[in-house]
Amino acid sequence: MVSATTFLEARGVRRSFGTDPILRDVNLCIRSGESVSITGPSGSGKTTLLSILALLLKPDAGEVWVAGSETSSLSDRERSRLRNQFFGYVFQATHLVGSLPVLDNVLVPALIAGSGRGRRDYARSLLAGLGLGNRENHLPHMLSLGQRRRVALARALVLEPPFILADEPTNDLDPRRAGQIAEFLLGLPARGHALVIVTHDRALANEADIRLDLHDGVLRDAAESSDEPSVDETEAAVLHDPFARVRGTTLDDQQ
Amino acid sequence: MIRLILAGLLRRRWQSTATILAVGLGVGLLFAAVLLQRGLQQGLELGRQRLGADLLVVPATAIVDPDRALFAGSPLNVYMDRGLGDKVKAIPGVRRTETQFFTQSLRLECCSVDTEIRLVGIEAGVVSRLAAMSREGVPSLQSDEVIVGGRLLGGVGKRGSLVELLGGIFKVGFRLEPSGTALDYSILMPIDTARKIAGKSEALQFLWKEAGRPENLISAILVEVESEGDIPRIAEELERIGPVKVIRAGETFQRFKKLTDAFILVLAAAGAITAIGGIVYLVSHFASVAWDRKGEWALYRALGASRSRTVAFVVGEAVVLSGSGAIVGLPLGYAFFCWGLSRLAAQNAFPFVPPSAELLAVAASLAVVLYVLVGIASAAVPAVKVARLEPALTMAQGDID
Repeated sequence: MVSATTFLEARGVRRSFGTDPILRDVNLCIRSGESVSITGPSGSGKTTLLSILALLLKPDAGEVWVAGSETSSLSDRERSRLRNQFFGYVFQATHLVGSLPVLDNVLVPALIAGSGRGRRDYARSLLAGLGLGNRENHLPHMLSLGQRRRVALARALVLEPPFILADEPTNDLDPRRAGQIAEFLLGLPARGHALVIVTHDRALANEADIRLDLHDGVLRDAAESSDEPSVDETEAAVLHDPFARVRGTTLDDQQ
Repeated sequence: MIRLILAGLLRRRWQSTATILAVGLGVGLLFAAVLLQRGLQQGLELGRQRLGADLLVVPATAIVDPDRALFAGSPLNVYMDRGLGDKVKAIPGVRRTETQFFTQSLRLECCSVDTEIRLVGIEAGVVSRLAAMSREGVPSLQSDEVIVGGRLLGGVGKRGSLVELLGGIFKVGFRLEPSGTALDYSILMPIDTARKIAGKSEALQFLWKEAGRPENLISAILVEVESEGDIPRIAEELERIGPVKVIRAGETFQRFKKLTDAFILVLAAAGAITAIGGIVYLVSHFASVAWDRKGEWALYRALGASRSRTVAFVVGEAVVLSGSGAIVGLPLGYAFFCWGLSRLAAQNAFPFVPPSAELLAVAASLAVVLYVLVGIASAAVPAVKVARLEPALTMAQGDID
């Protein structure tokens, strides 16, 4: 599956929604066995960047290279094959199929690839490894958010893709569940996968080999942007004014 | 792919069931309409072939519906002098005549037949014409042989079987094909044999006292003329030879054909409206379903389904739904057809040829193929539209349930 030469690279990627530029000249290279975290305030373009890297969205300009192929010139069939075989994507909203039991949800990429039967045992072992061995026949609505995240994670891994892209995988989870997910994800590079995590969780981000920060569509080394407000600081600033208007006091007054 | 398609359909059980039933009703009505229409068309043609005459001469006292007498084979229990047949033959322009003799009604004790059975005496020419229209037909009958109507003695009325009629034993010469007319419930025999049987029947003695010996009587004369242009003149001459009523086949046939055509048109229109209604429903249904579920299709795209694969998912669902509906609809349609046929047969109002196995198979296949094609056509456009959407943007818009 993963070889030492496998890499994912973005060169000069730009993307706008309407007249608003979301990404400006983003450059990024990820190799097998590396972990990369991307932080940044809400709306800074993290999910858009992740979608472009996973070939879910086309950039307005720039190139995305996957395993030595420049993807903009590829046919839809070829891009789809790359998405299926090279990427495991953990969506922020999990996006499980409500009508399918857990095991079949995990197998969806394999069913699309036509290898559902052959991946069944592996899917079971993934679920067992994620503590969901006794939930494989449950429907998604019978699971907690943390359990659904783990099902989504198993789905991302079922075809053993070289790249795992996780969009805020610990969001809305209690610290214990978040810790379990983070531990599992951070163990993937050791198994040869490249990992890209978009997160607001500083602790999780700091565990990655490469830490990047996305601000106003510009991707920088997180260490270089340490003079910028942190994620928490940004959110506090965003919340400061409304809080003061509602309560008549500031956040600082409450501490 | 099949598993994902079936899962998508099972998740929306009620919606899927409603769609299958809607398609099933459409297919059923179309199927039944096609069968009834074809049966009537063939029956009309068969009626004309069986008639084989341009004019029908009956006693003036006969109370007869010309349409039913000519094309539905209704019997006439009225009589006229046999000599009239010779007079008719002598009229210039008459090519051929055939006389018929109706005896009496019977009831089969063995069978659950509600309709009365008529014994009819026919001439050799009629035998050969009926034989040509039956798979088992033989061109002539012995004096102890009979032709059995298409709906009599099913299973035991094969060629060579013996039947007892009014104390006499007869052999089955052949069976007629079912026609939806009174002929289906008639037993035809050589005219001289019919006269002998009728003469011996105690129940009919009062008729012979009034009309004379049956050997000298006939019930109807079928007349074929040299050319169509002679029909009005010959009809006028026939009316002058004695107390008879002349029914012109051409006029009657045309009137009957118009009536049947109108009925067929109504059936065809009902079938067409059903088909069009079904198509409109399927187009709107599949278009809205495909669009409402764009989040789900986008997920499959995100997980590696190509555009063509996504189109196959959407269209595949439509094919499964419309195909299932068509399969459900066929027995419904056949039941509806049988009901309609029983109503028509009960009245002997229209000649009707029941569909052959080939026609059934072709009509069923056409109905299934039509609705599956409609399903494909209905789903194809929305499927292509959703497959073209950017997966990431679409997933952000659409819920996946």
